[in-house]
Amino acid sequence: MSAAEPLHYRFPPASAYRLNRCLFALKSDDGFRARFLKDAGAAIREIGLAAADAAALVQGDRDTLLARGAHPYLVFMADLRLRMEREPVTFEYF
Amino acid sequence: MLVGAFACAHTPQLLARPGTEDRDLVLRVHAAFARVKRRLEALRADAIAIVAGDHVEAFFLDAVPALAVYVGAECAGTFGQYRYRFPIHEPLARSIVEQGVERGFDLCYTQSAPLDYAFYVPLYFTMPEPSLPIVPLHVNVYLPPQPTPRRCYEWGGALGAILQGGSERVVLMASGGMSHFPGTDRYASPEFEYDRRLLDTLRAGRGRELAAVTGEELDKMGNIELRTWAVVLGAVGDAKADVYCYEPSWHHGNAVVEWTL
Repeated sequence: MSAAEPLHYRFPPASAYRLNRCLFALKSDDGFRARFLKDAGAAIREIGLAAADAAALVQGDRDTLLARGAHPYLVFMADLRLRMEREPVTFEYF
Repeated sequence: MLVGAFACAHTPQLLARPGTEDRDLVLRVHAAFARVKRRLEALRADAIAIVAGDHVEAFFLDAVPALAVYVGAECAGTFGQYRYRFPIHEPLARSIVEQGVERGFDLCYTQSAPLDYAFYVPLYFTMPEPSLPIVPLHVNVYLPPQPTPRRCYEWGGALGAILQGGSERVVLMASGGMSHFPGTDRYASPEFEYDRRLLDTLRAGRGRELAAVTGEELDKMGNIELRTWAVVLGAVGDAKADVYCYEPSWHHGNAVVEWTL
């Protein structure tokens, strides 16, 4: 295996702690997700995100989020849970 | 004593059944789960010890245990619209954590962490009637550095010895796998051939080979969750796998396996 090949799931750098905290809350904290959907800016201030993280999050800029140390699974699930709130999905259709 | 050993996919789409999925494929996996459920009933177990990898639900970056045991009276969690709660076989859980530490595994334990859906999905489909208490056993799979496959296999060896030495009839179940890459560019292109080769190895009773695989290889092959299988393999040794199903969907290699003891 080439050493140059990066892992899909990498060590989350400490610099991305608040960003990952925010994504974790969007995934797993119904109250935070509701506050984010009502007023993303206020919810982001609650976590204390850096401006560049906040901009990437609000724009849904996955590549930038990953480059800044966001965990791919958290990006994926935070996005999925937000989309499910915005456009309800039909489950158990069979 | 250890009376049964299984591995089950926990792909959330098997439970949620959104319109993105192949209905017939999902129903074939459900049929394999139903077979496990019947086997669990026939095995007359006292408890299910279920080994799963947390999806950054119970353990966030505040503390990331490599291996953990739930030792509460019960455990509960949520996943989207689903709410679930299971009684824990507390004496067994406590004995696993105490004896595990005695055997040199520095286990974390929790009496309150939320239960990840990786535990719920297989139990939703396979819980026998009447239902059994569980012991959730956590393996860190998503937050590097994860325990090595060898360490997981060794933990499984100790776990198997602990269970064999006890009076309870326990079924061991790994939750997770096979190849999938959630949150990455590879989501729609798992490594199905890797899965098939590994299943052939397991059918031949060569499960110990998974202990020699590197963490890098598991990551590259979308199989970080096979650490949970490595734990079960450590407990069952060279038993041969009976593959109930292998169903590759557009995003996930879904396998259901029993090791006949």
